[in-house]
Amino acid sequence: MKLGYKFWLIVAAFMVCGTVGPVMAQGTEAAADATAGTEAVEIPESTDMTLGAKDDKYVMPEGFRGKNTEEGDLQWLEDVGYLMQENSDLYNVDAAAIAEASKFTSEPNINWEVKKEDSEGNLVTETSDNTNKATNDSNITDPGYYQVHNGGARQVSTAGGAEGEETPDAAGGAETSTTETAEGAEGEGETKTVTAQQRIGIEVHDCTSPDVWVAFQEGAGSIDMAKSEEELKANMVSKIIENLGKPFSTDVKDYEEASYVFLEEGRDEERNSIPWEKTARLSIAGTLFNERGAPKFETGKLGSKIDQADYRNHVNVVGGEDKSLKGVYVRRNVPFIFAAISTDNGNKRATAGEVTAKIETADGEEVMKDGASYMFRVPNYPREQYQDQPEYFFTTVANDKDGNVTTIRMPLYVVDTSAAFEGGKNQ
Amino acid sequence: MKFKRSLLLAAIIAVLSGSTAVSAQETTASTETPWLEGVTIGPKPTELSPVVPMKIYLENGEAIPATLTEDIPITLIADTVLFDENPPTHANGVEIPNPQWSRKPAISWFFIDWEKNKNTAASTTVDLAVNQMIVTPLNPTGKGAISCHAGRKMRYDSTEPGKTRGTFVNSSVARDVQVLDITPPLCGLEISVQDGKSGIFWVKENPPDKYPLPKLADVHLSGALVVESEPDKVITVSALELGQSMVVPAEQAAITVAADAILSIKVNGEDNYKLDNGKLKYGICNGAGGEPVPVSEVNMPEIKLADLKIPESPYLYIDASDVSGNRQVLYVPLKIK
Repeated sequence: MKLGYKFWLIVAAFMVCGTVGPVMAQGTEAAADATAGTEAVEIPESTDMTLGAKDDKYVMPEGFRGKNTEEGDLQWLEDVGYLMQENSDLYNVDAAAIAEASKFTSEPNINWEVKKEDSEGNLVTETSDNTNKATNDSNITDPGYYQVHNGGARQVSTAGGAEGEETPDAAGGAETSTTETAEGAEGEGETKTVTAQQRIGIEVHDCTSPDVWVAFQEGAGSIDMAKSEEELKANMVSKIIENLGKPFSTDVKDYEEASYVFLEEGRDEERNSIPWEKTARLSIAGTLFNERGAPKFETGKLGSKIDQADYRNHVNVVGGEDKSLKGVYVRRNVPFIFAAISTDNGNKRATAGEVTAKIETADGEEVMKDGASYMFRVPNYPREQYQDQPEYFFTTVANDKDGNVTTIRMPLYVVDTSAAFEGGKNQ
Repeated sequence: MKFKRSLLLAAIIAVLSGSTAVSAQETTASTETPWLEGVTIGPKPTELSPVVPMKIYLENGEAIPATLTEDIPITLIADTVLFDENPPTHANGVEIPNPQWSRKPAISWFFIDWEKNKNTAASTTVDLAVNQMIVTPLNPTGKGAISCHAGRKMRYDSTEPGKTRGTFVNSSVARDVQVLDITPPLCGLEISVQDGKSGIFWVKENPPDKYPLPKLADVHLSGALVVESEPDKVITVSALELGQSMVVPAEQAAITVAADAILSIKVNGEDNYKLDNGKLKYGICNGAGGEPVPVSEVNMPEIKLADLKIPESPYLYIDASDVSGNRQVLYVPLKIK
C-alpha cells in the first residue's frame, strides 16, 4: 500500500512536470526572441501557405471520370459545397516564425477567390471574398476547371513600439511612408505587410442533364416548310440562350405559331440543387398537346435519376395517356415540322446545339419526312378506333459532353381533321 | 494515512490543475486567433510548392510611392518568374526535376485598408498585359497596402519513374502606402420647428470619385419647410463645386420658416475619411459665399429667430472640414415668412 502511494505521487509529479515543462520552454523561447530583437532583422516579403478541402466526403477520387491522375487537382461535383481551409505562419499568435523579434501589428487580411479557366486558358475571377477567415465554404455551380485561391496578408513589425501605434492622420497629408518607424518609438525597425498565397486546381464535374426544347409547327397551303424549319430553329436558338433554357413565355398567346416542350433544370430556386437531389421542369405550351387542340401552358417538376458511381444524371420523360404529358397531337393531312435543340450548364448555357429527335413506330422504325415536312394521311387516334393503325412515338435524346442525358419519348397521335381544334394558326 | 491520502489528493489536483492550465492556454491561443477556427492543417506545405519572389512597381519602372492620392489611378507591373517561359528549377536549394508549366499564370491585385482590415480587389476593363493592373485607391487611409498574389501550375517528374506531379508555384508581395484625402466633407443640416414641420438638406458627391478636381456634388432638399405642400418631394440642385462656396440659389430651393420660429438644428453627413469635429460650424449667416458671417451664435442646436436681428439675406450654413484640411461650406437660403 505504501508503495502504491509513493508510485502515484511520483507519477503525479512527473505529469505536473510534463505539463508545465512545455509552457516554461515556450516562455524561455519567447524571452530569447525578445532579447534577439536588438539585432536588425529583415522581415520577408512573403511566406508559405497551405490550402486544401477540409470536408472531403464528396471529393471524388483521383481519376474520376477519367481525369488525369497526375495533375494533383481536386475532383469536385458541381453544386456541392466544400469547406476549404488554409493556414500560414501569418496567422499565428506571434510572429516569431516570420522574423525573429518581430510582432504582428494587425489582424490578418484574408481573401478567397475562385477563378475559372476560359476557352483560351486564361483564369478569370468568378468570386472574390474578403472574409478574414481561414476556412471558407466554396460552392461552384458550373462545371469546368477552376482554381481556388487564398491570399493572406498581415502587418509585421520589428519596431519596438509599433503595436497599437496610432498613425497620426497620415491620410491628412503627411508625406512619410508608413513603413518607417516614428521617431522616438521604442527601438528601431520596420513595419511592413507580409503576404502569402496558395492555389489549388479543381475539376468541377457536370452533374446536370442538358436542357432540351422541342417545337412542333404545323403548316398549310403554300408555306415553304423547309424555310419554316430553319426559321424555327434559328428562333429557338436565340430564345433558349436568351432565357437560359427556361420557357420564353407563360402566355398561351405566344404559342399560336408553334407548340413547345421545354425540359430544363427549372426555376431559379430549383437550379443548382445538389447532384443527387436534382430535378427538372417540364413545361408544355401550345395547341398540340391535347386532342382538342386547346391552347395551354402547363408546367411541373419531375425527378432525375443519378448514377451513384459517376454521378451522371438522366432526366427521362415518358409521355402517355396516364401521364401529364399525354403526347403530341397532329392533324391528318396537315404537314408539320419539328425542331429540337439543347443547351448545357457546362458553358453556362451560352451556346445551343442540335439533339437527336425523330418519329418512330413502336418497333423502332424511323418515320421519314414526306418531302420537306412530316404528314400523316390516316388517323390513329383515338387508339381504340384505329387499333389497326401503327403507334407513333416522338423521341429525343440529348447528351452533354460529360455524359448527362435528357430523353423524351411520347406518343404522337394523328387526329382526324374533323377534330375540333380550338387554336393554331392554320385553322 | 490520512496525511498520505491528502498528499495523493493534492498530487492529483496538481496534475489536473496542470492539465487545465494547458487547456486554458490552448483556448487562449484559439481566442487570440479566431480566424483559424476550424482549421486542421499546418502552415507549411508537406509537398513541393515553391514560393518565388515578386516585385511590383509603376509602369515607368519607378517604385510605388509611399503616399498615393485618392481617385488617382496608377498602373502597376508585377515582375516574377511566373511569367517566364520556364518554371524555377530549384526550390529551397533542392533541384526540381524537369519542371514544366501546365497552366497559364493567375494573378490578383488588392488594395488593403489596414485601418479597417478590408481589402478591395482591383479589376480593369482596359486591355493590359497579364502582369499589369490599374489600381485606383478610392478611399483615403493612413495605413494601406497594395498587394499582388500570383500562382501558376507546374508539373515535374515524380520520384516514381515515368510519372509526373502537379503543384503551384506561388509569388506574392505588398507595398505599404497611405492614401491622401482630397474630398471635402459631405455635410448638411436637418431643421425642425415647433409645429413639427421639418426640412433637410444633404450633399452627395456626383459623380463619385471624380478626378481631376474639382469634385462636384448635388445638394438634395426635402421636407415641409422646403415645399410645404409636398413634404416628400426632393429638390436636387445639381453639379455644385464641392468646396468652400456651395450656394443653393434662392430661386431653386430654400428653407422657409415663420418669423417667430424656434429652429432645432442637427448636422447630418460625413467625410470619406475623418471629420475634424473641432472645426465644424453651423448656424445662420448673412449672405452667401466667402467666409460665413454668422448672425446667430455658432453651433447652437436651437435658435430663436425672434432673438436675432435678421439680415437682408439670411442663409443657413454648414462649415465642415476633415482632418486633411479639405473644407466644405454650404449655404442654403432661409426665407422668413
